[in-house]
Amino acid sequence: MRYQNATAYRFLAPYLLIFSIFWLWPIISSFLISFQATRTVPWRFAPTFNWGRLIGDPAFFNALKNTLLILVIQVPVMITLAIVMAVLLNSPLLKARGLFRFAFFAPVVVGEVAYSAVFRLMFNLDYGIINKLLNSVGLPRIDWFSNVTPAMAVIMIAVTWRWAGYNAIILLAGLQSIPQDVYEAATLDRVSKLKQFFYITLPLLKPIIVFCAVLSIIGTMQLFTEPFLITERGGPGGGTETLGLLLYRQGFRSLNFGYASAIAYTMAGLAIAISLVQLWLTREPK
Amino acid sequence: MAAVTLKNVVKRFGVFEIVHGANIDVNDGEFVVFVGPSGCGKSTLLRMIAGLEDISGGEIAIAGKVVNNVEPADRGIAMVFQSYALYPHMSVEQNLSFGLRMNGNPKADTERRVKRAAEILRIAELMKRRPRQLSGGQRQRVAIGRAIVREPQVFLFDEPLSNLDAELRVQMRVEISRLHKELGVTMIYVTHDQTEAMTLADRIVVLNAGNIEQIGAPLDLYDDPANRFVAGFVGSPKMNFMAAKVVGNDGAVTVELANHCGAKLRKPLSGAAPAVGTEVVLGVRPEHFFEAGEGDCDIAVKADVAEHLGSVSYVYANAGPEELIIEREASRQRANGDHMAVSIKADRSLLFDKSGARIR
Repeated sequence: MRYQNATAYRFLAPYLLIFSIFWLWPIISSFLISFQATRTVPWRFAPTFNWGRLIGDPAFFNALKNTLLILVIQVPVMITLAIVMAVLLNSPLLKARGLFRFAFFAPVVVGEVAYSAVFRLMFNLDYGIINKLLNSVGLPRIDWFSNVTPAMAVIMIAVTWRWAGYNAIILLAGLQSIPQDVYEAATLDRVSKLKQFFYITLPLLKPIIVFCAVLSIIGTMQLFTEPFLITERGGPGGGTETLGLLLYRQGFRSLNFGYASAIAYTMAGLAIAISLVQLWLTREPK
Repeated sequence: MAAVTLKNVVKRFGVFEIVHGANIDVNDGEFVVFVGPSGCGKSTLLRMIAGLEDISGGEIAIAGKVVNNVEPADRGIAMVFQSYALYPHMSVEQNLSFGLRMNGNPKADTERRVKRAAEILRIAELMKRRPRQLSGGQRQRVAIGRAIVREPQVFLFDEPLSNLDAELRVQMRVEISRLHKELGVTMIYVTHDQTEAMTLADRIVVLNAGNIEQIGAPLDLYDDPANRFVAGFVGSPKMNFMAAKVVGNDGAVTVELANHCGAKLRKPLSGAAPAVGTEVVLGVRPEHFFEAGEGDCDIAVKADVAEHLGSVSYVYANAGPEELIIEREASRQRANGDHMAVSIKADRSLLFDKSGARIR
C-alpha cells in the first residue's frame, strides 16, 4: 500500500509542483507581503503598517462602500432577472429556443474592452442612444459619466447586461432538472402556475440560486473592468472606484504591493464572509 | 364515485396516431387495469383521462359529464405517478396537504383529511419526514395519500409499483387492493405487469399498439382470450405457440403439429372449421401439458433447461425451432438433455389463425 501511495505521489508530483509554485506560494507570499512596508528599499517587516492604514484610509472605505452598494443593488436585480430569463427560456411556448439561449449567453463571449466601448458610446451625453431615447419621450438628458449616481447606475446596468444571461443559463439547467410530473401533480391539485412558481420552482431552484448568488458576490467583490473602462478608472472623482480598482491603483500604479496585498486579502475575506452568511441564511433545514 | 366512459378516443402526436379510437366503460366503483407492452398507449390513455394530455378525437366522460375541455383539477380525479412526483422540499404532511392549502380549504378539514389518509396508509409516524428520508414503499404510500386527501371520484394509477423491488411490489399490491375495498371508489390502474393486472383488476383492458385487444375479467382473459396477443400476454409463463396445419375437417378440426413428427390433435370447434391445408397455430399454456397418455395428443421433447421454483418446475424444452415451456410438479430429475413425453388435451388448447385471430 505504501509503495502504491508513493507511486501515486510521483504521478501527482508535476501538478503539485506547479500548483505550489504558481498558486500556493503567491497566496502565502501576498499574505506575508501585506505585513511588510514595500515602499522602502529593502522591504521591511511592519505588521501594522498596511493593515493600520487600511482601517483609516478614506479611499479604502469609499471603494468598499461603492463595491458593497453595487453588490447590494446589482446582484439581487441580476439574479431576479436571470430567474425570469431562465423561466422564459424554459417555456414550451418559446420558439427558436437555441437562438435565445445563445443570445442571452453572448455578452459573456464578447470582449470586455469592446463591450465597455459600446457602453460608453451608448451612454454618451451628446450622441448616445440612451439620451436620445430619453429625449424622445420628453425626459432630460443625463450626464452619465460626470455624476456619481448615474455613473454607478451605468456600472450596474453594464454588469447586469454582461452576467444576467450567464446566470440564466445556469438557472435554466436547474429548472430543467425539476421533474415535470411534480408540476403535473400540482396541476391536478389545482395549484395555479404562479403558485407553482413560488411554491415549487423557487424552493427547488434554491441551491442553484444560492450558487449563482455566491458566484456573483465573488465576482462583484473583484469588480474591475467596468469601473476601469466605462467610468474611466472609477470616475467621476473616485465615485465608482471599487476595491478591485483601488487594489490595481495601489499595486500597479503606486507599486505599493504591501498595501495592495492587504486590500486583496480584505476583498477575499469579505467575499468568503458574505458567501458564508448567504449559505447559512439559505441552508436546508435538517 | 363515478363511472368513466371513453368513446372513440384518439390520440395523435403530430402525424403519429398513438391511440386508435378506444372505447371503454369503467363502472362506478370498479377496479380496471390497463395492461400492455411498453408503448402500447396505456399511459397516454390514462393521462388523457386525467386531462394531462389533450384528446385528439372522441369523448371522455366522468360521472356522466363530458370532460374533454375540463381542467384536470376539475375532473374529480386524483393520480398516483410512477415516479411518485412528491414535492421534495416538503414534509410528508405538507405533501399531503399542499393542494388543499393552496386552494384555501378550511384548516380543520385539511387536518381531518390528512389524518384520515395517514391512518388508512399507516404513515402517521412519517409525517415530519422529507421524501428523501423515506423508502420507496413509504414514498408510494405518501403519493397514494396525496390522492386520498383529494377525496376524488376516480383514482388513476400510472405504473405505481414499477420502481419498487419484487417483495415490496407484492406488499403494495395487497395494500392497493385493500384500499379499493375500503374506499370503494373507481380506480383505473396502468401497468405492463400482467401479474399486477390479474391480481388487482375487476376487469382488464389489454392494449397493443394503441388498440384495445380485449376487455374482460382476469380469468376470462386467461381462459378465453380473443386472440393470440391476449393469449400470449396474459398468463405467466406465457402460452406456448406451436405451428400446425389443418389435416381434417369433419365437424371437428384435426391439426398436425409441424414440429412434432406429425403428431395430430382432433379439436371440436363451435364455429366453422378452417379448410384442410390451412396453416394455424396451436396454443397451450405451460400448466396444460399433461403426462404422456393422459391427453389427446402426445409429443416428445428434449429438456433444455429446468427452473425449479419449489412448488413447480418449468422445463424449457426444444422441439425443432420451437421452444416450449412446460410446467411440471417440482422434480429434481428434469435436467439438460432429458427426453420427455407430454400430452395435450383438446379442451385445454386454443387454436389461432395465421393473423392471430382465435378459431373457436
